[in-house]
Amino acid sequence: MDGGKVTLGRTAGLYAGAAVLRLALFTLFPGLPELLTGRVEISTPVTSFKRLQEGLFLYNHNVSPYDGGVYHQAPLFLPLFSLLPSFASWPIFTYLLYIAVDLLGAAALGKIADSGEAGSSALFQSPRREKRWSGFVIAAVFLFNPFTIATCIGRSTSVFTTCAILHAIAKAVSGAPFSAMVALSFGAYLSMYPLLLLPPLLLLCYDRQRPERAMPSGLRFAATNVCVVVSVLGVLFPMSYLITGSWEFLPATYGVQLTLSDLTPNIGLWWYFFIEMFDSFRSFFLAVFWLHLSCYVGGLTIRIRRQPLVVLTLLLGIFAIFKPYPSISDSSLFLALVPLYRHVFPLMRYTFVIAAIIIYTTFLGPAFYHLWIYAGSGNANFFYAITLVWGLGQSLLVCDLTFAVLRDEWEVERPEMVGKEIRQI
Amino acid sequence: MASSINPLSWLTASRARARALPLFTRAAVAGIVVFWIVGVQKALWDVRAWGALVPDEVGLTSLYRLNTFPFIHLNFFHAVMNILALTPLLERFETEYGTLTALALFFGPFATLPAFIYLFIEKFLLRGNTAVMGASIWVFLLLGIEAMKAYRANPSFKVGPYSIPTWTSPIGILLAMAALVPSSSFLGHLSGLVVGYLCGLGVLKFLAPPEKALRFVEGKLNLMGRLPHYISVDQKKYGRFGVLPSSSSPASAGISMGRGYSSLPAAAWELDGRWPMADGKQTCLTSDQTRLGPLNSGLLRLRRDPRILKVPPYLSLLCILVGVIWLFLLPLDDYSRRTYISENALLPGQVHTYFGGSDQNVFRAYKHETSALAGKTNIEINDGLETIIKGLGLKVSRQNFTYRSAGREYSGENLYAILQAPRGDATEAIVLVGAWENVKGEVNRNGIPLVLTLARYFKRWSLWSKDIIFLVTPDSITGPQAWVDAYHDAHDSARVSSLPLKSGALQGAIAIDYPQEERFESVHVVYDGVNGQLPNLDLINSVVSIAGGQMGMGVSIQEMWQHDDRYPDRLRTMLRGMLKQGLGLASGPHSSFIPYHVDAVTLQPYGVGWQDEMAMGRVIEGTFRSLNNLLEHLHQSFFFYLLMQRERFVSIGTYLPSAMLIAANFTIMAIFLWHQSQIGPPPNTPAVERQLFLPLGLVSLLQSLSVIPLSLFHHAPESALPPLFALFALINLALPPALSALLTARYRPSAQQYHLLQSFSLLLLGMFLSSLATLNFSLALLVGLLACPLSFVRPSRTAAGRVTCYLLLSAVAPTAVAVWVWGLGGWGRR
Repeated sequence: MDGGKVTLGRTAGLYAGAAVLRLALFTLFPGLPELLTGRVEISTPVTSFKRLQEGLFLYNHNVSPYDGGVYHQAPLFLPLFSLLPSFASWPIFTYLLYIAVDLLGAAALGKIADSGEAGSSALFQSPRREKRWSGFVIAAVFLFNPFTIATCIGRSTSVFTTCAILHAIAKAVSGAPFSAMVALSFGAYLSMYPLLLLPPLLLLCYDRQRPERAMPSGLRFAATNVCVVVSVLGVLFPMSYLITGSWEFLPATYGVQLTLSDLTPNIGLWWYFFIEMFDSFRSFFLAVFWLHLSCYVGGLTIRIRRQPLVVLTLLLGIFAIFKPYPSISDSSLFLALVPLYRHVFPLMRYTFVIAAIIIYTTFLGPAFYHLWIYAGSGNANFFYAITLVWGLGQSLLVCDLTFAVLRDEWEVERPEMVGKEIRQI
Repeated sequence: MASSINPLSWLTASRARARALPLFTRAAVAGIVVFWIVGVQKALWDVRAWGALVPDEVGLTSLYRLNTFPFIHLNFFHAVMNILALTPLLERFETEYGTLTALALFFGPFATLPAFIYLFIEKFLLRGNTAVMGASIWVFLLLGIEAMKAYRANPSFKVGPYSIPTWTSPIGILLAMAALVPSSSFLGHLSGLVVGYLCGLGVLKFLAPPEKALRFVEGKLNLMGRLPHYISVDQKKYGRFGVLPSSSSPASAGISMGRGYSSLPAAAWELDGRWPMADGKQTCLTSDQTRLGPLNSGLLRLRRDPRILKVPPYLSLLCILVGVIWLFLLPLDDYSRRTYISENALLPGQVHTYFGGSDQNVFRAYKHETSALAGKTNIEINDGLETIIKGLGLKVSRQNFTYRSAGREYSGENLYAILQAPRGDATEAIVLVGAWENVKGEVNRNGIPLVLTLARYFKRWSLWSKDIIFLVTPDSITGPQAWVDAYHDAHDSARVSSLPLKSGALQGAIAIDYPQEERFESVHVVYDGVNGQLPNLDLINSVVSIAGGQMGMGVSIQEMWQHDDRYPDRLRTMLRGMLKQGLGLASGPHSSFIPYHVDAVTLQPYGVGWQDEMAMGRVIEGTFRSLNNLLEHLHQSFFFYLLMQRERFVSIGTYLPSAMLIAANFTIMAIFLWHQSQIGPPPNTPAVERQLFLPLGLVSLLQSLSVIPLSLFHHAPESALPPLFALFALINLALPPALSALLTARYRPSAQQYHLLQSFSLLLLGMFLSSLATLNFSLALLVGLLACPLSFVRPSRTAAGRVTCYLLLSAVAPTAVAVWVWGLGGWGRR
């Protein structure tokens, strides 16, 4: 699969192919984008394109976009999409924008893969690192992943966050901490949760500093970069204030994610739980759920200190399961980073089971949703059961990848144990 | 860190340890229990006020408090938790140093020293007066000792790149306790821990009573002989560790370790009695296979057993057999249930029906009018009907529709009238449908007059709380479809005109299909919807209960005109129902309603008997009265069921396993083949890298090719369908050999790739079938049964084997079976 020389022509062909495929889906099946935009698996309250259009309409009519409680996305989307020709008459420009964002993300992913950071970081060199896929293959896996394509066709705004995160990592790997921090701040500005990636990203930047302008003191390095993030956000927030004319956007975007005030079903684990809950427990469990989501950051960052990219990957997997409003877009980002660990695939134990679970749930989820919403013969438990299984499949993948990476590290320390069966206790 | 021991082995270990607890530990536990029991009452003697360590109360006369406070606890949970924490630690201490030493230390310095430290800090530094009690002070003291011991053996453990000194671990526990447990005394615990550390460092060695003296006392009193579970001070003679083995082989450990460590994974508990807290990453993460306990190695040995690899094919065969047998068990009394009305609001058959009498004359008049319309065009008929219904004082409206499907055009005009509910607010409605022609093309001679008569009759009553819609359609399939589509605004307004008149949400629909002229005997209830959807079982039950119970006429389902309610008839009914569900065709005017979540049935009178049109009208009146009672949409009873007699059914929970088992057989084989593909031809060469590219590509290519026939069949005109089907049947026959020839010639796939090819195909098949089973059980079961041989196909070496295999497989392929059925049916008709 990694055979053959990756030439410029081949790469261009790949990107052109991905773009043509998306454009064909957009134009040949005019009903498809609308259909996918309406799917709960793709569009969540905080990423839906329909809601974006609603916000855009209000914004263009000089009404606060957050009136009416439908739009929960970052204010800077509004001028961006207002600059494009109107979606109703010229949808092609919106399509092209989404395709371009996908391709940019893939380019960043290719850079990450070609850097070889996954196999040999500054503090750790895997003995298996020779066996890896080139950036070409990994970008292809990302671009032709049905989840990525569906997200792009469904025009979920999470593609922008995905692109920002991938660029942050790519910049960090190539030794440009400032750009990485700026990209991460954009991601955090758009969907908030990327802010949790800051600690491992800082470590990654620190490890991959260019020697000519390296900052040896870790503390100073961290402080400088946190300052960068704070100042970028400090520019973005006032800009948003200027655009919308009030600070209303803070509770309407980040507040909704923090308090889960919109309980539209999605593929995550929160909505059902909070529908069922008595109001008096709500704030407590909100705190618990958020604490749970963020508690992985510290532990993983310390435990896998020697491979910060692994931490980033695992965290993205965990976010795709435990975020308040996850969608298949988050899974596609995680699945895009997993192939970077081609060298530890032989150490993974449940690949087939994981693949089977993910494929099964991909088909059963819509079927059960149909039974619940359209046929009326099922109920919410049907769909929630499938989202649980979906979460199980993804968490199996996260666990298995963690195991494989740790085993890889461990075999370096204990060469006599290579190939022997071990057991986790 | 210590908590990462295997829980199972911990359980057995704790059981064994309880049997061998040494004397002082027993005494301490007993003391705590006794003090707790005494402390249950407060009136006679308040133990807590008497014995707790209260800084202001401690004087020369009440120094006993320094010794009693560890035995006294606040409440039951406090006591239990402390006993659980203290027992293993105290036991270790006692087995190491002997009962007498433990007694001397714990009644002496180990109680008083922490108490003094606590008193000093609390009273003189903090000027507070917080009472403390409980054995947790000893727990921390002992933890401190153990931590120092562990530190000496194993100075640090590693978390990531950081090494953390082991002696700090009790501090973590201390902080966690302070944070998590309410009203725990941080200061008290801390003073215990400090003494523990000092003791562990050896600073407090001078406190221990001289060994010589103890040995003297022991010898004089013959304590060894007199006291049970006594542990001697003399390490050399009766040493606590004398019996422990020095080798670390699990077999000898299992036999000779008398103290209950035997079933612990040896890696977790170091055999020389060291506390496992400190032995680092290897312990916490992994323990290699050679050092496992007996239980786990047994499981592993089973997993490695080559015989277990022979099981899956049999397992999957078993799944198929059980699935099929299960299906045939369903009609038995033990597996099916009697139907019952789940929605209590329905109250079927509980009201008097008054339709009859002079309505008979009205009916005759309408019949005369409508038979004059027979044979005229759709528009003329509707003109005639409209005058009649307008005469009744109902709002009438019409709807034009034109459908183009499979190259043919279906057009017509629906007519409908709305009776506004005298007691309702037009938010809900029930529909009465009469199609001018039924599915067989017969004119609904009695049905249409009955609809008109009922409209006139219903208008007279004031008890309706839901609007009633009377709908007359030119045919049984497209007309109702156009009307329901338009009612829910799901129509293409270029072809189907919108409804000018609407009412509320449809709660139910009853269609009358009554072409028969003479009197009838029974009612046939038709309930199959499009694509295998079914109406709520409560609706069918209501009709059965009203027609069968109240009116005393026969009721049948699935064209079973005779039904003796025994096994063969039940099975036949069920299989007919499944076949209809699997084919998913519309079976009457009601079918179009079900996709919109409107429960609907068609009632067909049949047979020759003494029931007249009025009786049929009463059945409908009773059903409408029941539906009129509904407080909310039918939701209680079942949406997934198989009926095997009018009053007997199986619900989804009972029948779904048979389809799921058949789907599971494919998944099992897929997993099995995936595993097979890992093992190379010679034995014991696992971890072969799989070549996934060719199998994955081929399977996904073939699966995506299925889009072509789907869209072709969807869009081709009706006349082109038979040749198109024949063409695809031929392609189906020709494709496998062509593909396999191409594959072997071009790519020369290895055995592994064949395995993977089959594995992926079966995985997808299993997945599609299990998804389908939730939507249309019967179709999934039929396809699954036909696809069963695919699980067991293996590459054959001989040409004859290949040909036989190919012929057999093509003979039972779904397309081939469709051809067989079609051909046999054709012959049968000739």
